[in-house]
Amino acid sequence: MNPIKKLDYGLMKAEEFILSFAIIAIFVLVTGNALSRRFLGTSWPFSSELAEAFVYLATFMGISYAARKGRHIRMSAFFDIAPYKVKKALSIIIPFVTALVLFALAYYSLGYLEQTTNRVTTALRLPYYIILLPVPVGLTLGGLQFLRNMWINIIEKEIYIGTEMKESDRE
Amino acid sequence: MITTMFIVMILCLALGFPMMIPLILGPMLMVIFFLPQDPMFLAQQMVGGISSDVLMAVPLFIFAADIMTAGRTSQRLLDFIGAFVGHLRGGYAITTAAACTMFGAISGSTQATVVAIGKPMRERLRNIGYKDSSAIALIINASDIALLIPPSIGMIIYALMTNTSVGDLFIAGVGPGLLIFLFFAAYAVIHAKIFNIPLAEKALWRDRMVTTWRALLPLGFPIIIVGGIYSGYFTPMEAAGVSVLYAMILEVVVYRAVSLKEIPGISLSTGLVTSAVFILVAGGQAFAWVASISGLPGMIEETFLGNDPSALYVLIIVAIFFFIGCMFVDPIVVILILTPIFFPAAEAAGVDPVHLGVVITFQAALGSATPPFGVDIFTASAAFNKSYIDVIRGTPPYIVMLVVVAVLVIVFEEISLFYRYLPFL
Amino acid sequence: GDEEAGGDNGGDGPEYEWDFITEETPGQVQYEYAQEYADLLNEKSDGRIEVDVFEFGGLGSEVDQLEQLQAGGVELGIVSPGFVSTLVEEAQIFSLHYLLPDDQEQTQEILNESEAVNEMLAEKYVEQGLQPLSFWTEGAMQWTGSSQLRSSEDFEGFLMRTQESPLMIESYGAYGADATPLSWEELYGGLQQGQVDGQENPIFFIEDASFHEVQDHMTISNHNSYVAVTTMNQNIYEELPEDIQEIVHETTEEMRDIGFDLQDELNEERLEMIEEDEENPTEVYELTDEEIEEFQDLARPVRDFFREEEGEEAAEILDQLEEDIAEVTGEEE
Ligand code: NA
Ligand code: NA
Repeated sequence: MNPIKKLDYGLMKAEEFILSFAIIAIFVLVTGNALSRRFLGTSWPFSSELAEAFVYLATFMGISYAARKGRHIRMSAFFDIAPYKVKKALSIIIPFVTALVLFALAYYSLGYLEQTTNRVTTALRLPYYIILLPVPVGLTLGGLQFLRNMWINIIEKEIYIGTEMKESDRE
Repeated sequence: MITTMFIVMILCLALGFPMMIPLILGPMLMVIFFLPQDPMFLAQQMVGGISSDVLMAVPLFIFAADIMTAGRTSQRLLDFIGAFVGHLRGGYAITTAAACTMFGAISGSTQATVVAIGKPMRERLRNIGYKDSSAIALIINASDIALLIPPSIGMIIYALMTNTSVGDLFIAGVGPGLLIFLFFAAYAVIHAKIFNIPLAEKALWRDRMVTTWRALLPLGFPIIIVGGIYSGYFTPMEAAGVSVLYAMILEVVVYRAVSLKEIPGISLSTGLVTSAVFILVAGGQAFAWVASISGLPGMIEETFLGNDPSALYVLIIVAIFFFIGCMFVDPIVVILILTPIFFPAAEAAGVDPVHLGVVITFQAALGSATPPFGVDIFTASAAFNKSYIDVIRGTPPYIVMLVVVAVLVIVFEEISLFYRYLPFL
Repeated sequence: GDEEAGGDNGGDGPEYEWDFITEETPGQVQYEYAQEYADLLNEKSDGRIEVDVFEFGGLGSEVDQLEQLQAGGVELGIVSPGFVSTLVEEAQIFSLHYLLPDDQEQTQEILNESEAVNEMLAEKYVEQGLQPLSFWTEGAMQWTGSSQLRSSEDFEGFLMRTQESPLMIESYGAYGADATPLSWEELYGGLQQGQVDGQENPIFFIEDASFHEVQDHMTISNHNSYVAVTTMNQNIYEELPEDIQEIVHETTEEMRDIGFDLQDELNEERLEMIEEDEENPTEVYELTDEEIEEFQDLARPVRDFFREEEGEEAAEILDQLEEDIAEVTGEEE
């Protein structure tokens, strides 16, 4: 494996771990709070804000992973019936523009992170920007993944709706 | 300028961009070129859009459904239903609609219903000969009933904004909810006849006993969830968490159908679906924000309500706007933005506030299952890994039925306000 | 929020166009206040200032709105301590129970005059880019419960819904209650089904959210006041010409009494509605002086919790506020 592929594989494993862990964490926080309130009489005041943090984490860190697997939701009516050449052109243009939009949003989100420097969470008084960190990171990784998707459509003959998902493989 | 935004959005959409792009790019261009706001707030709004506690139920119900699908729970539950109604015309379709109604009454979330009932039911419907598109259409539309049957988050928010009684609204939603169910059930029978869906052999009573016995623990789900909520043990959102716990206990400990090692893999698939859907909910909030600051609500009021409109006219306008709004944005956000625009005009025109609340909630539900945008469609597309077009292919008959019911609900306020005629309430 | 000079005063449009955010909806105190504020500003400036009032909803959550005010995306806003305290932690001082007097007129006088509030605490807002113009009350906070709440005994094992703030949790812990954070979307259902037993809010809000429908008891506890703060973005405020600043100040001053009457009438009217709602009977009980005394004694140590948690400067603000209060109430602490 060349270094880039290695790095990418490592990233994919990290994304998988984060998505999987975030969902389990949300489950533990929500359920634990409910059970603790009912049976021990004490709530976990941090439950809701941490669970929210994990929702942000899953949502934004999942952008890249969903792009790999071609799982972003899209309305493909026109795309599906288009002739090969149009399809090929679209399969290069769409990931490219998508990547640009995600990079732009990542840049703007950094501004928002800066804006929240003084804000803390209600229960744990954690710096709020820590919770927001997945936003610029996830958007940037998502953008990179769409660039890879564009590249693979340039060099391969087949149409790839995700970096690791050929159009022909979809159910 | 707002027209520019819509053109960009529709163009991106039609070309087959990932749906998050029209939702983000439209507002982004508006903020960069036409509005004085700082674009950094796009990020703020997106994060805000997914920060509601109530939304947290969605990944949790998806997680529970994924565990049950990986294991034996769903199978046993559906074997049980099949043994009793499988031999009837449209029996499975009716069961799906009924299960969605029941689950909606539990969760209050249409998206959670799509996944929790939809995943196992879709398999079963396909196995007995339904086209996949029919199965999915039935699931996403029946799931809408969730927004009308109490507890309904949409109604709670409407109630606060308009100072209407939550209790009255909850009762008022039941009539229209059941009416949709009846329409869907009737259609299921007709559809099964036309397409000649094969009937299963009528099960023997002995088999029925066996499947009932085997389904006893899975049948505990509604008991735990409904019982848990109504006895004050946990909130509807927490019930989603508890249902994950119950699913784990059943599958991992009791049935040993899923090993603990498999759980991270299952939660990865839940995480993927959550991300694909929530990024759209987030984008919808950014869109709603831009609409608000560009004064879209005010423009609507001036253009469409004019002077002294009649009650029926106001209701029709309300229905149309909520319907369109919910195609683009999460129903809750639409209720927050549009209710204040229409409420004063409706009140002045003599519309009953409870009736208006039901009409609004109904439209919100309808809009979220209707193309082009619709959170239920997104959820089904992500959860079933089906292309967008496959998900919406079978929906037209249901949309026709829903529109018919919508018209009935608008014209006959008695469907919602029936409870006022009951002496014992 | 376009805050552009409209060129010559030739009458083509206002010179200043401001957006004004509130945390409430039409018919509720903040929104009605903001409307009157907008009209008054417009009138006093002979149309040079035009204000667009935003009700809660379109611009995101309360904290989202606040951040837009901070960044100058909107010019004016009403913010309340519960939400601002993620930025200005000292603002939590208003969550302390039985600190401000239960008499609303005295509370208003303190909020108008207090050095602790208008100088020391205001300074903390300014550090975050927010210029407080006035602190005012939306009414006293009351308890509702599925059972009666008259003594600490009634609070034993009682699931009281609070926000997530450690101070609020401590406050109800002091009475022996199990403080239970719950999002407000889940609150109505939670009260109905019994995931929580009670909650606190001003009367008008209790009626608006229909909490009385699912609660059998309401206790007029007056344990603190819902303090709203009329706020302007600090940079925008600084750069206003003096005459405009003057108009803003005059308007804010005139609004003090108008705002007080607004909340007073609304709370009065809604209290009657709750009392007269026979379909959803709610027993309304006003605490006696002796009963209040018990809660006062239990609440007092929480002030030390505040001093320890929030640091030296917050402690100084509290010390000064205690003095300011004593001056108005005439009671030595
Ligand atoms: Na419901
Ligand atoms: Na829906």
